[in-house]
Amino acid sequence: MIPQTFEYTAPATLDEALRLLAQGAKPLAGGMSLIPMMKLRLAAPDRLVDLGKLKDLSYIREEAGALRLGATTTHHEIESSPLVRGKCPLLAEAAGAIGDVQVRNMGTIGGSVAHADPSADYPAALQALEAKVVLKGAKSERTVAVADFFADAFTTSLAAGEIVREVVVPVEDSATGTSYRKLLQPASGFAIVGVAARLRRSGGKIAMARIGVTGLSNRSYRATAAEKALEGKAGSAAEIQNAAALVTEGADANSDLHASADYRRHLATVYAARALLAALARTA
Amino acid sequence: MATTTTKPETLVGKRIRRREDPRLITGSATYVEDIKMPGMHYAVIVRSPHAAAKIRSIDTKKAAAAKSVVAVFTGKDTEGVGPVPCGASLPDLRVPHHHILATDRVYFVGHPVAVVVATDRYLARDAADLVEVDYQVLPAVADPEKALAKGAPAVHPEWPDNIAFNFHQDGGDYAKAAAEADVVVKQRITSQRLIPTAMETRGVVAEWRAADRQLNLYSSTQIPHLLRTLLAMMLGLEENRLRVVTPEVGGGFGSKLNVYAEEALMGFVAMKINKPVKWIETRRENFLTTIHGRGHVDYYEIAAKNDGTILGIKLKIIQDLGAYHQLLTPAIPTLSVLMMPGLYRTKNITADVVGVFTNCVPTDAYRGAGRPEATHGIERMVDILAAKLNMDPAEIRLKNFVLNEEFPFPTATGLIYDSGDYAAPLKKALGIVDYRKLRMEQAESRKQGKLMGIGIATYGEICAFGPSPATPAGGWESATVKIDPSGKVTVLTGASPHGQGEETTFAQIAADELGVDIDDILVLHGDTAIVQYGIGTFGSRGTAVGGTAVYFALQDLKAKIKKYGAMLLGSDDVSFSGGQVTCNKTGSTKSLQEIAGATYRAMQLPPNTEPGLQATTFWEPPNFTFPFGAHIVITDVERDTGAISIRRYVAVDDCGNILNPLIVDGQVHGGVAQGIGQALWEQAVYDDNGQLLTGELTDYVLPKAHMMPWIESSHTITPSPVNPLGVKGIGEAGTIGCSPAVVNSVVDALSPLGVQHIDMPMTPEKIWKLVKGGAA
Amino acid sequence: MKLAGAYTLPFPPERAYQLMQDPEVLARAIPGCEGLEKIGEDEYRMKMKMALASLSGAFEGKVKIADQAPPSSFRLLVEGAGKIGFVKGDGVLRLTANDAGTEVAYEGDAQVGGTIAAVGQRLIDGTAKMMTRRFFEKLAEEG
Repeated sequence: MIPQTFEYTAPATLDEALRLLAQGAKPLAGGMSLIPMMKLRLAAPDRLVDLGKLKDLSYIREEAGALRLGATTTHHEIESSPLVRGKCPLLAEAAGAIGDVQVRNMGTIGGSVAHADPSADYPAALQALEAKVVLKGAKSERTVAVADFFADAFTTSLAAGEIVREVVVPVEDSATGTSYRKLLQPASGFAIVGVAARLRRSGGKIAMARIGVTGLSNRSYRATAAEKALEGKAGSAAEIQNAAALVTEGADANSDLHASADYRRHLATVYAARALLAALARTA
Repeated sequence: MATTTTKPETLVGKRIRRREDPRLITGSATYVEDIKMPGMHYAVIVRSPHAAAKIRSIDTKKAAAAKSVVAVFTGKDTEGVGPVPCGASLPDLRVPHHHILATDRVYFVGHPVAVVVATDRYLARDAADLVEVDYQVLPAVADPEKALAKGAPAVHPEWPDNIAFNFHQDGGDYAKAAAEADVVVKQRITSQRLIPTAMETRGVVAEWRAADRQLNLYSSTQIPHLLRTLLAMMLGLEENRLRVVTPEVGGGFGSKLNVYAEEALMGFVAMKINKPVKWIETRRENFLTTIHGRGHVDYYEIAAKNDGTILGIKLKIIQDLGAYHQLLTPAIPTLSVLMMPGLYRTKNITADVVGVFTNCVPTDAYRGAGRPEATHGIERMVDILAAKLNMDPAEIRLKNFVLNEEFPFPTATGLIYDSGDYAAPLKKALGIVDYRKLRMEQAESRKQGKLMGIGIATYGEICAFGPSPATPAGGWESATVKIDPSGKVTVLTGASPHGQGEETTFAQIAADELGVDIDDILVLHGDTAIVQYGIGTFGSRGTAVGGTAVYFALQDLKAKIKKYGAMLLGSDDVSFSGGQVTCNKTGSTKSLQEIAGATYRAMQLPPNTEPGLQATTFWEPPNFTFPFGAHIVITDVERDTGAISIRRYVAVDDCGNILNPLIVDGQVHGGVAQGIGQALWEQAVYDDNGQLLTGELTDYVLPKAHMMPWIESSHTITPSPVNPLGVKGIGEAGTIGCSPAVVNSVVDALSPLGVQHIDMPMTPEKIWKLVKGGAA
Repeated sequence: MKLAGAYTLPFPPERAYQLMQDPEVLARAIPGCEGLEKIGEDEYRMKMKMALASLSGAFEGKVKIADQAPPSSFRLLVEGAGKIGFVKGDGVLRLTANDAGTEVAYEGDAQVGGTIAAVGQRLIDGTAKMMTRRFFEKLAEEG
């Protein structure tokens, strides 16, 4: 498991990193996806720029009703942060569902999001949270909604030379309950299907429903038909089931060794119902 | 000077922590990869990406010209090296010539085609990509039943039927039994291909000392001496010029009970370049080229009376051999035949095995080797029979067990079961789970639509390989015990333990026999220049055969110690205990240390006695041993996802006397983990073109600690009469008892839906489909 | 692996058929294609660079068009091999006019080998779909 020869740089500043990336280097964050691919020689970048050493990319801050998470913040830091657990528990829950302890200690939110693995856990939560991603290039910075950011399997709206600088998620109010449920593929730890549910209750009714789905198809998405079916409802078991049955609408389910497309679609509805019930129980 | 202390208690039977663990768990043990030598070269092997292809040409020029590369060898260069050996003999066995590097054709994905040797291991890997092989791709076949079909691609063109051997065995008269039966149940049962996945992959370092005409070869193997004998033949080297060293071995599970092409290839390379060379297998290579286990398609038939009495068993095994025979490949399914009656009294069996070539990596011994398949089959069939007759699965087993007074029991397959009380572990396990109450709970939960399963499996296995006439390579084991002039004890065992804990158990035996502190005992193994010829560790033989050899060497030594003690004490009436010889009349003593010193100083010798204190035993076992047990598994199946959870796992194993309960627990836990792995998750998947789709740990579902249930392990003890320690063996028991217990449990859970059988692995999707669609 | 699906191209079958036989158009539409070079009747050598997230690899292979029945169907044979593995595909494309233009239904078998087959199981289905879609999207732009 020996990669091809490559040049490695660990710049001291973000500007220096962006300058190198603009010249065509490949960014390295936690390395949990890229390094194994390199060892298998499925990936053979000539130059790597290690973002992991940039201290000012690792942070969790609360600002103006939102949490801002620096790109190199690790899954473990997110999973265990009192701030995230208290103010955006869905993100902490999704972070805790990733891989295993070693992966969570090394892997970063920016790396995961930029990699856009169709079975990754974060995207389900980020879709449900209507999160934003701040993208930075050598000369630009822009903010993109995750719904637009995740384009296809391993494909995002990142332009050449751009990196994910920051992920922005909302601070939840106490009326909102959230949950992330997944069936994991036991070898890899990835989600065969994962569903994030986010519900706000007001006056005995579901005032807002957001459902993010990962693993089912080439890209994570918001199950808007299911969301609409729930809003304005009290959240009875039957209503939850009806909504859950709609989460696969419009999705082109994938199939692999571990789950056929049919089974994946079925699981999506089962896990949607579970996530919705759990989220509902957590609403104030 | 420290004197040997008198020991207050014996160590055998105690939960003593493994003495080998501190170095293993602190990363300070030496594995093949840790061996460093001046001038070390590194080998990378170029392998076929195709399952079947003709090699039109190989162009090594670019690779040979690459930076740091010293040599590139292909099959043409290694034609003088003998074939990879098959140690199993069966009548009319077809044995393809197994070159260490492919010559004109490749037979499976991963087949070695060339080797690149360089001074830098990274550049060696780069250069391997520069070797250009022109393949003419041929049709492949990866499934044994498809390989038997008319018109299937021929794996070896000389044998278009893809059949390597047919093996038949009869015992009693099955046809008569079937004719007299009230009921005959049939089922096709598979035991899928598994990837052994030792934590340490294979690895070889070879060093040729031309001036000494000496090849030192370090390999992660279970059988250093057998490897030496066979490698010497392959390389055309005198056996005494080859030294095989087995440093720490990070797991084998049978996958390192073999002689591999790469071992000979590294010897060849070292002799060619006259420099040390290292090859460490990658995990990808490990999955593709180290032997796989199982690979059975079995067709079972059981004939029985309405009262549940089993009259006979019929079995046809289709064994997926892969493309070649490795060391024991064709022998493995014959072990399944030997154990096909399980613990049951029936004297009527008929069995056919057809060994089938496929374009896959060879199968061979993997934890249990043939017995898990047999146990899985018979234990599934007994449950199917019980369901058919509407009998309780515990009751039907108790009805058919060999009775205590029938031991030693000659089986329908020609074995003699040594000792047993087969009902005891089952009754104990039933008691632990409170079986009657549990069935009531299940009835209750079924009323609520829940899918709860109770699975019982009892097993017998054949261990302690074995009497030499019945084994391919000699079944004895050797031990030398030597006591230095200072009184320190060294045990040299020909078994080559690699995780079984024998550095501890053998020291326990020696400490008790000699009455010395365990810290004064060193157990050495795995170096053919240090240790007398031995056989190795496999088939749950380490303690039962190797430990017995240690025991007998100690008896010889004790006799000599007494002789010297008597001489030094000037009395014929002496006894030896607690590390000293005592004159029974005067009470005066000589310590072991004093006696050891005297044997080497040799100022005076007892009559007909040599100086020195060393004894060697080669112990030939008179029979195999036959451990047995009962496992009960309680499962809950989720209707809407098909997910299975194991609520309770109870294992009651009878491995004879227990020398160290802690180590026995560890063996049970590890074995059960691999059994659950097969039942629920593990599966080597080849596509129709012979590509291994589960080519890495991201897709091959290996059980991990957090996926394991709590294992409630306990024992009954029926000593074996085969050896003086009374031990039977425990290394494979967990795996053998486990998979049928888990499958029986899930089938039981799904039985209200009309499900009779489920093939492994029982993935959630498979279960979901059964729940959705009813009967299998 | 079975591949099947359908896409709609915004022009009539004759035009769609013609585009799909044009090596220059194919070269632009096949994701990662770096050029097609004619080596025989309806047979081309292809160089391809695949880039998907971190995964990247150069492939060399052949494209062959057979069993032409314009404008309703043809058979496409593709094979490519690179350091990370090889791919072989054999499928039939059927064109039928519909309201929006032409529906192209494809059905075939794909073989994947080498490292990508062994470690990329999770990705193959999705990737195949994505590349097919990109191909047809590009084709649609050719007008």
